[in-house]
Amino acid sequence: MVQDVTKEYRRGEIVVPVLSGMNLQLDACDYTALMGPSGSGKTTLLNLIAGLDKATSGHVYFCGQDLGRTSQGKLAKWRSRHVGFIFQASNLIPVLTAYENVELPLTLTQLKRRQRREQVRTALEIVGLAERMDHYPRQLSGGEEQRVAIARAIATDPTLIVADEPTGDLDAKTGNEILDLMGRLNAEFSKTIIMVTHDPRAAARAKRTLLLEDGKLVGNTAQSPMEHAS
Amino acid sequence: MKLLTYIWRNVRRNKLRSGLTILSMAFSLALMTILYGYLAMQTVADREGSKSGRLVVLNKQGFAGMLPIAHVQRIRKLDGVAAAIPYMWFGGNYKGRKMPFAQAGTDPKYAFDVFDEYKISEDQLAAFQKDRQGCVADKGLAEQMQWELGERIPLEGTYMPINLDLRLVGIFKAPGNTGSLWFNWNYLDEELKRNMPGFPGNAGMIYAKCKVSGEAAILSQEIDATFANSENATRTRTEGALILMFGEMLGDVKTYIRGISLAVVFALALVAGTTMAMSMRERTTEVAVLKAIGFSKLRVLSLVLGESTMIAILGGLLGIAGGLGALHLVSSIPAAAMLFTVPVVALAGAWLVGLVLVAATIGFVSGLVPAILAAQLSVVNGLRRVV
Repeated sequence: MVQDVTKEYRRGEIVVPVLSGMNLQLDACDYTALMGPSGSGKTTLLNLIAGLDKATSGHVYFCGQDLGRTSQGKLAKWRSRHVGFIFQASNLIPVLTAYENVELPLTLTQLKRRQRREQVRTALEIVGLAERMDHYPRQLSGGEEQRVAIARAIATDPTLIVADEPTGDLDAKTGNEILDLMGRLNAEFSKTIIMVTHDPRAAARAKRTLLLEDGKLVGNTAQSPMEHAS
Repeated sequence: MKLLTYIWRNVRRNKLRSGLTILSMAFSLALMTILYGYLAMQTVADREGSKSGRLVVLNKQGFAGMLPIAHVQRIRKLDGVAAAIPYMWFGGNYKGRKMPFAQAGTDPKYAFDVFDEYKISEDQLAAFQKDRQGCVADKGLAEQMQWELGERIPLEGTYMPINLDLRLVGIFKAPGNTGSLWFNWNYLDEELKRNMPGFPGNAGMIYAKCKVSGEAAILSQEIDATFANSENATRTRTEGALILMFGEMLGDVKTYIRGISLAVVFALALVAGTTMAMSMRERTTEVAVLKAIGFSKLRVLSLVLGESTMIAILGGLLGIAGGLGALHLVSSIPAAAMLFTVPVVALAGAWLVGLVLVAATIGFVSGLVPAILAAQLSVVNGLRRVV
């Protein structure tokens, strides 16, 4: 839950307001698209919700935990357990194989090697790339890379998945495949997804769309189940 | 996958850059290995020299002064002396090669009593004692020169205007490769009498073997006291002390070596640090992603420091191996050039571990600033570069 959140950046003497008076409630299994023009504060809001940044004022709660009052070290641990990240570029580690990239967040857990192997396999099977687990990112297509990135995001079985322009670097067909996959994660695996996008077709896949302008929430549209399904 | 696997992959990420950093580290550590190895060689040679219970008697003025051959007899008569021999350096050319090995005129009767750890067969020793022009050579030297018993060895004088016509009658085995050839001092002296009037009768330097090696210090004082009021006063040292004297002639080598080492370490840390900083700058987004998915500051710090330390240790090990190889070559140079030889195996010691630690420290220090910057990196700023 985002409560009365304000976020400002300082550039020397100048204070740049990015978000002001933001209130937002995300429920479990929500699939929310964040839209708005550049500079409207979409990514900033996403970063606050994902525990990557802290609000200047106000509170961001996750299951009752105030992220603003949590130390950086604890936030890192919290992210490793509860948040999966999908970026515009896949941001895979080029020197690691697909398997190792997916395993990376699991190395932060107490899981044994055998358990990690099972979870990595499951994640790669969900994204349809179990056969290519030994390939390095340079040996994969853009769409495959992004699917591996999704597998990495879900490997720890997080509650929340944040996606920043996940189809921004992909062609329409591959982008659609990625959006299909995200839809499955929400529908079949009950993942709460919040996605920043400029693409109305991508936003249409979400259950609701939030529209931001100048750091304020100006629209909150719920898609009908039929729209959402299409 | 373990953290170490990831670190190793990062080391191999940019092979050219890592390779060059490893090579620069290897080259510097090889240099340091040679310098410290030289010091260790001196220490070992000193220790071994002291154990032999041998004394070296020189003219008080040093190598330039003469020692009359009569001194040898007088030294032999001292109570604590088991045996004594003249040792006259010849330094001749052999078949057009300039001083290719150590050559000395000595007393065949007592040479192997003074150097009693050198082994020679009885019949060869008898031949050496009987044949005025006979000579004996170190096994290593004989093999190197492909000499066989009976070989004629002509030596052309350099600072002495005489030539020697020697015949190999024996081959001795010493603990190390001394690269030495010994011939009869009397033969040399007779040739000098014919060609350099006024020069004969010089023992060069004298080697004396103590009956009890622990009494070397007392005996050396006794020898010097014996000749204190003569025209040719002596200065007696143990073999080890003589080696150290050569080291001292080069000046305060230890201080130079430490100074050079410190400069090398500092320069290397800067070079490796710059390389590491460049490498991490290229990986800003990657570090941000790692931190986003939950990598703690400590883990990021360990990744970067692990990488820089691994590169440095690899370079260090390569350099130390290279340096030891070079030392091995140096140790195989016969005594003609080195005056003492020590097998490299005798050099293995704490100083080698110290050099590995030096390499690791360079790696750690060079990675410190990039590692702290990476650990402190704001995830939001790091991701903003691409996202």
